[in-house]
Amino acid sequence: MSWIKKILLVLLIVFIAIQFIQPAQNKSVQVLPTDISKTITVPENVKMILQTACYDCHSNNTDYPWYNYVQPVAWILANHIKHGKRDLNFNEFGSYPVRKQQSKLKAIADQIKDGEMPLYSYTIIHYNARLSKEQKAIIIDWAQNAQDSLDKINP
Amino acid sequence: MKKIIMVLSAGILALSFTACNSTSSKQTNNTDSAQADTTNMTAPVEATDATPADAILTGYINMKNSLAADNGSEAAKNGQEILDAVSKFNASSLSPEQKKTFLGLVGDIKENSEHINENGDKIEHQREHFEMLSKDMTDLVKSVGTDKSLYLDSCPMYDGGKGTWLSEVKEIKNPYMGKKSPTCGAIKETIKQ
Repeated sequence: MSWIKKILLVLLIVFIAIQFIQPAQNKSVQVLPTDISKTITVPENVKMILQTACYDCHSNNTDYPWYNYVQPVAWILANHIKHGKRDLNFNEFGSYPVRKQQSKLKAIADQIKDGEMPLYSYTIIHYNARLSKEQKAIIIDWAQNAQDSLDKINP
Repeated sequence: MKKIIMVLSAGILALSFTACNSTSSKQTNNTDSAQADTTNMTAPVEATDATPADAILTGYINMKNSLAADNGSEAAKNGQEILDAVSKFNASSLSPEQKKTFLGLVGDIKENSEHINENGDKIEHQREHFEMLSKDMTDLVKSVGTDKSLYLDSCPMYDGGKGTWLSEVKEIKNPYMGKKSPTCGAIKETIKQ
């Protein structure tokens, strides 16, 4: 039995040690001129949903949960946020070429429709990020309308 | 003491599993199982250097045929084909106007190809990106030209009729519906006879 104890003790020491290595946080209060609300119309109700359900991983400002201060969770979250922002960053939407903006709006509607986003592993813990049928419809309608109006400018 | 250690380790394990299940599954499919469904597929077209976009277009046409045959893992490979062709693309022969068009599209072409490449097991997701990629490719070809026969097809059954694609042949082989409705659609425009 004692070797199990030793392994567990080593694990415990590693666990404590990694608590001291915290990744940089994704926090910025600055509103960029490239924000999506400055590029296309974002009604207040849409904005509210985006902020609660999407912005933690798709903007420059994450509302961190308490467990983010427990490692290795912070690394996992930092990695999720990095990927999320690379695929879509609402704060930098205006800097995308028009074609990419059109694609992203279509992708938003598709991902919500398919139930791929918000991620299951995220909504397990973030209860308020679970979208109701009505909320989904609001986002899908908005994204499709915004895409249509961009299509008119850039067919 | 032992109990505390046990509980803590269980905690660590639980925490490391909860948040990371989404990323790992994405990159698995590209290498194997491509031979599964080659019977009714067209042989891959060979690229020539006649026009700068031909290698990209070749990858795209192969992808269209893979999707029409409901073969997601082959379409994933074609995504890599497109990415390779884009990285080798020679923009030096383009006019300033064509260059501008290319630069406005290249990011989107790459991103859509990457998604198709990474989702060989989710063909409906691949088709969503293929729809966007088709739009990019149509604009690219219309700008830089091609000397191959090319038709723009559309299908009223997919995405409210917005689903278009480019085809090298006159007959309809629908990449969105696959075997469910292989011939749905019509030629919307002849880009090159």
